[in-house]
Amino acid sequence: MSMKENNWIDRNTFHHSDFWDLIKLVEEKEKKGLKISLCIPTLNEEKTIGKEVLILRSELMERYPLVDEFAVIDSGSEDKTLEVASNYGADVYLASDILPEVGNKRGKGENLWKAIHQLKGDIICYVDADISNIHPRFVYGLVAPLIHREEISYVKAFYDRPLNYSSGLRPSGGGRVTEILIRPLFSLFYPELSQIIQPLSGEYAARREVLEKIPFPIGYGVETSHLLDLYQLYGLETFAQTDLDRRVHRNQTTNALGKMSFGILQTFFNRLHTQGKLDRMPDLETFYRRFEVEDGNYRQLIQEVVEEERPPMIEIEGYRNRPDIS
Amino acid sequence: MPVEQIDTEALLNDLLRDFPSRTEKIREKKDSFLTDAVLLGEIPSPTFGEQERVRTVVDRFRENGLSNPGVDEFGNASAQLPGTEGQSSILIMAHADCVFSPEVRHEIQVGSDSMTGPGIADNALGLAAMISLPRLLKELGIELRDNLILVANCKSLGRANLEGAHGFLETMSQPVRAGICVEGSTLGRLSYSGLGTLRGEITLQVPSDYDWKRFGASGAISHLTGLINQIREIPIPKEPKTQLVFGGLKCGSSYNTSPRQGSLRFEITSEEDGIIGQMENQLNEICEQFSAETGTLVNMEVVAKRQNCGIPYTHPLVKTTRSIMQKAGITPQVDPSTGDLNALILGGLPAVTLGLTTVENLREINETIQLDPLYSGMCQLVTLIQAIDQGICEA
Repeated sequence: MSMKENNWIDRNTFHHSDFWDLIKLVEEKEKKGLKISLCIPTLNEEKTIGKEVLILRSELMERYPLVDEFAVIDSGSEDKTLEVASNYGADVYLASDILPEVGNKRGKGENLWKAIHQLKGDIICYVDADISNIHPRFVYGLVAPLIHREEISYVKAFYDRPLNYSSGLRPSGGGRVTEILIRPLFSLFYPELSQIIQPLSGEYAARREVLEKIPFPIGYGVETSHLLDLYQLYGLETFAQTDLDRRVHRNQTTNALGKMSFGILQTFFNRLHTQGKLDRMPDLETFYRRFEVEDGNYRQLIQEVVEEERPPMIEIEGYRNRPDIS
Repeated sequence: MPVEQIDTEALLNDLLRDFPSRTEKIREKKDSFLTDAVLLGEIPSPTFGEQERVRTVVDRFRENGLSNPGVDEFGNASAQLPGTEGQSSILIMAHADCVFSPEVRHEIQVGSDSMTGPGIADNALGLAAMISLPRLLKELGIELRDNLILVANCKSLGRANLEGAHGFLETMSQPVRAGICVEGSTLGRLSYSGLGTLRGEITLQVPSDYDWKRFGASGAISHLTGLINQIREIPIPKEPKTQLVFGGLKCGSSYNTSPRQGSLRFEITSEEDGIIGQMENQLNEICEQFSAETGTLVNMEVVAKRQNCGIPYTHPLVKTTRSIMQKAGITPQVDPSTGDLNALILGGLPAVTLGLTTVENLREINETIQLDPLYSGMCQLVTLIQAIDQGICEA
């Protein structure tokens, strides 16, 4: 790994506890004249939305005025999501009512994209609606690097505070799609981006000025496309990531993950195509990059995985010389 | 009619006049204490393991700008809201421990009109209500003459035998006018007496040299059953009211192996301390005799013991509390306490325990609190504090 990569992890990886002093954070935000909008995209989330709205509004708007605007943007829930969210004081919007002239597409990415138009903040923080252990850190941990460091434009969450197992090590705790699909793809085509510990996490905060410049897939590919597009435009230095400890959420079936992977692959290959990586295929990387954690430090492990190949057996003289092979 | 009584009634009527509008104001300001109920409820806090929850309470005390926030040598969190005169104090206590072990997933679900999760009523809500008092008083425009001492006491339940509350009261140096214990459960609860209680655990062990060929030989389950049958023969008087409850039985772990040990947890409550003493002696005798006759090792350990105590039903504190409840449309349910109230009253303080809202599935994983009744439950608490502050509850 190059020194540059190492430095990025050291400089741009945070833990939410780095920003525990919310009074200072609010002061810094106000000094810089920043406005922060919080958006929760929803579709049938009545079980968890009430708690998210209650806690985030109460702690980050009333107790500490870090968030200036808080909106739930819904894709057309059929349960009580909208009722519960507005009972606890959220501004609730239907995605289909925002920019009606561009039509309505159903998907999380649609809500995130329309939030840019609906919300006024200089920074927009997106938090998924299905977090059952919601805590203010899910927001302040993500917006704080943007408040403190102007060169950072996009902050991604990662989870599961590292624990030392008997071996002293444990994997980075990415989801199944991250470990099986995204990390190998990034290792092959975008090795630098493989330092982002959980590229698919649904919580991130970004500056309006970068969000308005990139396209939004409406479905599963939105998180991947953000990383690829912003990396292309601004390079690795625009990113940061924050450890938010534990996140408890619904577990998805393998079928659902297959569908998700299919969507992500479409987004990924579109980018490879537009960035000329398919037409002018570079030599493929042979280093597989993943993370391990030891004593609270994140360490990227690089393994060389060379898929050597044997030629068709028929090309081997010894085989062809067998008496029964003519 | 004496002049003093007229003034007291007039003062109370003044306070009660604003009850409906205050309840509405509290409903508008609900977010802060509901949030605290969730955040505190999601921190496991078994008895003797309350440290993390207590730390969070102290953080809240600090954030709310209270004086002297800290944790004492017993593990209790406390802080003060100084009064305008500060010559006396009002003590508000809420226990920080709950009955669930850390292995239970402490997740609180928030619905439109209810919250559900282990320990939300007992006593995350009581803690959150206690923490919210300084902010609520400010928002309601109430300034107290007395200091308000807020305590999240630990080591309250079960084996802890009110250790935290006793410790706090023993070391408290300020004059206190009265105390209120705050519990999430249940709206209408009015406790002004502490019930004499003895909690114990009987352990039975089949020794390693036990003669399995002897007449009547058996494993721990059969022996414990025999022991329970003998205990049930103890006569339990109806007057004074007395009760013996078997609360827990642990024995064995398989289908086909006789266990060698087991334990039985029980509680005796009685309005008469002498009865509790007699029953304790009888239990000890039964254990000794059973041990001798069966060749097993039987041991009884008393883990908690509380004396009867109380203030009269006619005490102005109780009377005022009843008046407030009546105004709020809350039906008082007089219920002697076996909790922290005992420590306060035995410590010489006039005190009551109040519940805040209606609760379902108390002490189950799906413990549920209703939000709508909570706001009048909070308002009764605020109004009672004000009444104490204005001297309405003095004997």
